[in-house]
Amino acid sequence: MCELCMKHGAGGKWYLNARHYSNEIVEKYNLRDFLMEQYTNFEQMQVRPVMGFNGVGLGYRVRIPIIGRIIKGFAERMLTSTNPPTNPFRAEGHIGQVVPLEDAVAILEHCAAEPIIEKNCMCRFMSRGIEEACCINFGVMSEIIDKLPRFIPEKEKYHLTRREAVERITAHNKKGYIGTIWFGPFPYINNLCSCASPECAGIRPRVDYGIKSIFKAEYVIEAHADKCTGCRACISLCQFGALSWSWTLKRVIVDQEKCYGCGVCRHACKHGALSLIPRDSFPGFDGEY
Amino acid sequence: MKGKTKISIDYARCGESGRVDPRTCGICLRVCGPAVFLLHQPLGAVEENPYKPRQWRVTAVHLSLCTRCMKCVELCPEKAVTVTW
Ligand code: SF4
Ligand code: SF4
Ligand code: SF4
Ligand code: SF4
Repeated sequence: MCELCMKHGAGGKWYLNARHYSNEIVEKYNLRDFLMEQYTNFEQMQVRPVMGFNGVGLGYRVRIPIIGRIIKGFAERMLTSTNPPTNPFRAEGHIGQVVPLEDAVAILEHCAAEPIIEKNCMCRFMSRGIEEACCINFGVMSEIIDKLPRFIPEKEKYHLTRREAVERITAHNKKGYIGTIWFGPFPYINNLCSCASPECAGIRPRVDYGIKSIFKAEYVIEAHADKCTGCRACISLCQFGALSWSWTLKRVIVDQEKCYGCGVCRHACKHGALSLIPRDSFPGFDGEY
Repeated sequence: MKGKTKISIDYARCGESGRVDPRTCGICLRVCGPAVFLLHQPLGAVEENPYKPRQWRVTAVHLSLCTRCMKCVELCPEKAVTVTW
């Protein structure tokens, strides 16, 4: 189990702990105003200075020997903060984890607070100028998005029943979008996203800058050599470069170190050659998420 | 890649007070493989309706990921992008 589950899972996975979805948390921490402020100004976060620095050229700064480590440490402490959030212009307590489709469905069926909506993904909008409805929100967060027209899809129905939400996340996952679930801010869970790299602002700090902004899933992929026919359909679905083609073996090989456990590659395999196994059961990781 | 890349946008040509609204153009956002650019509201912008902001600009944020392909410079219809190193 990852650090988040140990601290906030009440014995299970943190994101299947229904307490984190309740409106009581929102009222207790007064998160309504916080979230309204944050999402009204969402796209600015990367250019707004925090401790004198903003995100422009961050990649160069994290490479500076000692200073880089300090910046990373500061960013990670901010993202995993469990203090009552104070500054809506920073990603305080905004930490998430990759979830495979099965867990995403369990979240929607058993945990998500109503109303459930699907808004335009802010990451795709702010990095590509593209509006795509694929970001599922719950409870108070949905009510906030109701007031922010740029996140409301023009064509699709966006207030969803639980069943419709399950259908949407299933469709996105099958396309190859990465399921992710987020505290935002801790201890409130309100976003179930279908992410794409490099656009996702939550995955990017980790992939591009080595800042742990997201935990890998509680799973890792296993390829069954005996079942792989070598069709290569799975390779293009992996957004983390964890699957590659071996010219020598004439089958797909896995780099478990790169695998985030999203499980989307499984949708491409018609031969049952890919399955997820619990990350804890993989001997090499030693608690690394 | 040697050295540091610098990218500037001429906001008199594209942005909240420029000729072009980057939300309608957005060519640089999409031509760039590594997604170096960010579309955002200018800091401190005063909006009539803050929930429906009208002022937007583009900033090159992920400078270290720029491959210097120069596509953004080439394809910007306003010639607003400069990439140097
Ligand atoms: S999709 Fe399945 S059978 Fe095809 S290459 Fe990938 S693992 Fe092998
Ligand atoms: S190999 Fe891992 S990271 Fe890549 S698609 Fe499959 S589960 Fe996701
Ligand atoms: S030069 Fe190429 S890689 Fe660099 S910002 Fe422009 S389009 Fe992106
Ligand atoms: S390509 Fe040029 S005009 Fe178009 S959004 Fe980018 S900077 Fe603005």
